[in-house]
Amino acid sequence: MTAVRRCAALLCLWVVAMAPAAARDIHYGAVVDPAILECDRSHWRGDIETSRLCYANLLRDDVAAATKAEAAWALNNLQQSNEWFRAALAEAPDDYRSKVRWGDLFAASHQDAEAMNIYREVLEKDPTNAFALLGAARVLVGSFEEAANNYLEPLMMGAVPDNGAMIGALLLVAQVSLEGGNYDEADEALDQAAQLIEDEGWPPLEVYALRAAQDLLNNTDGSRWTEQAIAYNPRFGGIYATPAHFYVITRRYRDAIDLYQKAVDIEPELASAHENMGINLLRDNQVTRARMHLERAYQLDPFSPRSVNSLRLLDSFSNFRLIEDRPTLDGDVPIILRLHKDEADVIAPYAIELTRDSIEVFTERYGFALREPVIIEMYPDHDDFAVRTAGMPGLGILGAAFGYLLAMDSPSGRPPQEFQWGSVLWHELAHVFTLNATDHLVPRWYSEGISVFEEWRSGPNPGVRIPMSVYNAMREDRFLPVSELDNGFMRPSFPEQVIVSYMQAGLVCDFIDREHGEHKLRELLDAFGDGLDTEQALGAVFGMDPGEFDDEFDAFVAAEFGEFLEQLDHWAHTQAEISARLDSGDWETVIDLANELLGIMPHYTEPDSPYLAVARAYNELDQRDAALEALEEFWRGGGYDPAALNRLADWLVEDGQPDMAIEVLQSINLVDPLDADLHGRLGDLLLEADRGAEALQEYEVALALRPHDMATAWYRLASAQHALGNDQQSQDYLLQALDIAPNFRPAQRLLLKLASGADET
Amino acid sequence: MIIAAALCAPAIAGAGANALVVEGLAGEPAYAEEFERQASTIDAALRSLPDSEDVTVLRGDAASRESVLAKLGELQDALTESDRFVLVLIGHGSYDDVEYKFNLPGPDVTGEEIVAALDALPAKSQVFINTSSASGAIAELAVADGRTVVLATRSGVERHATRFGSFFANALTDDTADIDKNERISVSEAFRYAERQVADFYERNGQLATEHPVIDGGQAGRFALGRLGVATPAVDDSSLAELVAERNGLNAEIDELRRSRDAMSPDDYRSALLEKMLELAEVEDAIDARREELDDGR
Repeated sequence: MTAVRRCAALLCLWVVAMAPAAARDIHYGAVVDPAILECDRSHWRGDIETSRLCYANLLRDDVAAATKAEAAWALNNLQQSNEWFRAALAEAPDDYRSKVRWGDLFAASHQDAEAMNIYREVLEKDPTNAFALLGAARVLVGSFEEAANNYLEPLMMGAVPDNGAMIGALLLVAQVSLEGGNYDEADEALDQAAQLIEDEGWPPLEVYALRAAQDLLNNTDGSRWTEQAIAYNPRFGGIYATPAHFYVITRRYRDAIDLYQKAVDIEPELASAHENMGINLLRDNQVTRARMHLERAYQLDPFSPRSVNSLRLLDSFSNFRLIEDRPTLDGDVPIILRLHKDEADVIAPYAIELTRDSIEVFTERYGFALREPVIIEMYPDHDDFAVRTAGMPGLGILGAAFGYLLAMDSPSGRPPQEFQWGSVLWHELAHVFTLNATDHLVPRWYSEGISVFEEWRSGPNPGVRIPMSVYNAMREDRFLPVSELDNGFMRPSFPEQVIVSYMQAGLVCDFIDREHGEHKLRELLDAFGDGLDTEQALGAVFGMDPGEFDDEFDAFVAAEFGEFLEQLDHWAHTQAEISARLDSGDWETVIDLANELLGIMPHYTEPDSPYLAVARAYNELDQRDAALEALEEFWRGGGYDPAALNRLADWLVEDGQPDMAIEVLQSINLVDPLDADLHGRLGDLLLEADRGAEALQEYEVALALRPHDMATAWYRLASAQHALGNDQQSQDYLLQALDIAPNFRPAQRLLLKLASGADET
Repeated sequence: MIIAAALCAPAIAGAGANALVVEGLAGEPAYAEEFERQASTIDAALRSLPDSEDVTVLRGDAASRESVLAKLGELQDALTESDRFVLVLIGHGSYDDVEYKFNLPGPDVTGEEIVAALDALPAKSQVFINTSSASGAIAELAVADGRTVVLATRSGVERHATRFGSFFANALTDDTADIDKNERISVSEAFRYAERQVADFYERNGQLATEHPVIDGGQAGRFALGRLGVATPAVDDSSLAELVAERNGLNAEIDELRRSRDAMSPDDYRSALLEKMLELAEVEDAIDARREELDDGR
């Protein structure tokens, strides 16, 4: 590997996820104690019983503390190991080799900050300590920090020559390169590492594992490296666990589970494999089996936050309700919801309806019928969703699909003005189709593209919604070539690149649909399902190479948005002016400016849409019709601000348009279903429109929200049941209302009406 | 016999309802507008009560510490033991870990001064509503026999401007606050309504709640703060009086039935409730019909 190419590999490090470190990896010379090395050799060859006796024999009183620390660590007694490292360093504070290993112990027990402190302390005293550099680089790569390069470079560039640490660095680069799809660089790093390992006499197991992962990524069946690894060490679980990690990052979770199972079959004490299997089993809704492996992982490695978080989440499942919607038609699949018990009755009706609608639309459009139940989990606490998705809190996404199971924030997880839960559910359900229709072979960009496109076109709140930051990126020509679009999701190079990539992917699908026909969307999906990569699939479906495809797409974007992009600065300036005029109440100017912007981009319905400003201004000037028209345009264009839509519904009712008011209020359900007033209002309008069954559903949801005015909630239910001819049920509900409010006149009147009807019959 | 109010659930009887509403220092125009709205709403609600007597609102420069304490001092002579008295403080409060103060033009009035003035009033039935920030600082101090205390915060450390007062004022004109549909908003109903709205506000906006309203006092459910709709004019009619007496008797029987619910089977309870509710509904219809007859005869 040349220096330049090494640097190219280094630059990618900061964003790539790494598999969790094993408890005590092969150290490649970080430890030189012959007694430990002797035990290690037995261990690396899979002679576990011998190695355990060997390590145990080193725990004698007369053995040096640093040696005992390594032995205790190898026997998975991490606390004792910590004590002995501490003792060893108290005796010999300048023993940097032991100190680095102490840092490695902290890193292996998931205490990255403490590990980094130790590495930094060593490097302050001994700036060329190769294993301290390597340890720091590993920790920082694991936490996606670009600073990892600062520690890796001296090793890779030869400034700090140490063959053992170089092996570790090369393996790190190889893994990162494989994750980034840079297979040639990975290959080169592995070649170098293998040569050094052979020269130095270290076990080749980790090279074999990465080679096996490389074969997996190249769709090579039956990697020879697996056989070689098993021959070297029949109890080396990493030969399966490392490739499994690559199945996970390419979203082939069931394949990953199979490999993790093989890993723990041959190495039952491999905590990270149990943990990853547990997390991936959860993604496949195998909850009981997941718990078993997570508990085993916790027993083996009680310091791992991912296991602890996941087990806590599983414990919290007692606060959730499982709701199953059985299919009514042949060929349909059941829908299973896991919803928090406090909001299950509110969300379930809408979620089921949306899911059934989406299945109908996507089955027809993509020619694929689901084969298993769809499982939908919604979490009121975003961190629970994050743990469900990645094992750790702090995830910046709203939903995730793993196959037939999807998890997302529940409507109560975020403020309603920030979150269209109905559209997110629609988006994730599109993933359910694209993933399963292709056996998880669809590339990330196309799966996201279809999901965004379907949100815009067929979703519950249709309309192309593109944030201003993405328009800015368009103007700056920051869209990626389609063949590299996956990188925008997985290795973003600027802060907004993930959202820019989502929008670009959606626009690519929009472009395909409009310029080449809807059938091409399905053909492209099928091509991915046949195992083609993006370049091959574009060639097969469109007869174009990626460059030609990009050229056509660029022309489409230019035609669609070019004029607008030229006026972005004017747009921003005018928006600021509108904001100031709103504050000062200069309504006429607000109307002029906002209408000017809407002339430039009539489809912009984001939260700072000019439609909202112009509607407010017209209303302030008592020009209600114009205000109503502006809000109606906003709503039809996909605007979802619940306050604005509530206002629109009120105005429509006042204007004698109750049917459209119903539609507007129904769209708010997909943004803010926890608004108790909304369901009462909507139910009333539906009842007035002789839509009793729909009214009943709204009233049931209103009751589930336990409103302050329970008497009215029961009365409304009674009214709907009466309208549907269910007078016995209606009477029951009336008694519930009157039990709370005996003098509630409307309820009394309906009770008398029911009684007189009963008498007449 | 004079038949007045439209109805119903037993309210606290007394010589009359008196109230003092104090609109404190706002600090910002937006607060000034909102505090004025709250004060006006509460003032109107209190005046709508059939037994409303003296309702005073102090705002602006008239709402100084001296004026507030002077008004409370006057009431020591004006009120009797059988009177009901409502004190409402709308505005900002402060607490320095030692002393609570309600912010007024000029010197602030302290929690101790307010409570001492309330203690000195002869009225045995009192409601003290303080919607200000940090009002929870005087929770223990304000509690007294016969006094219902409503505070916007549960402690003095909740120092941010509150939303409770706005929701509490809204409750007095909102049908949905009237849980028992007797067309009166009791202290308890207004409090529960506002408490729920406050919690919803913070939860739905993804914000940490910086206020947790509290209530103390056993008469909150029976102490009305406002009435909904239009008061029924008093009429002298013996048959109407009989019907109203019958209705009140049925309401008492229904109360009794509800109290004995736990001792009955669900089916028995339902049957008994249905019977009483039908009777009550018929009597209400008869009352309405008689009123219409009387109106037509006028």
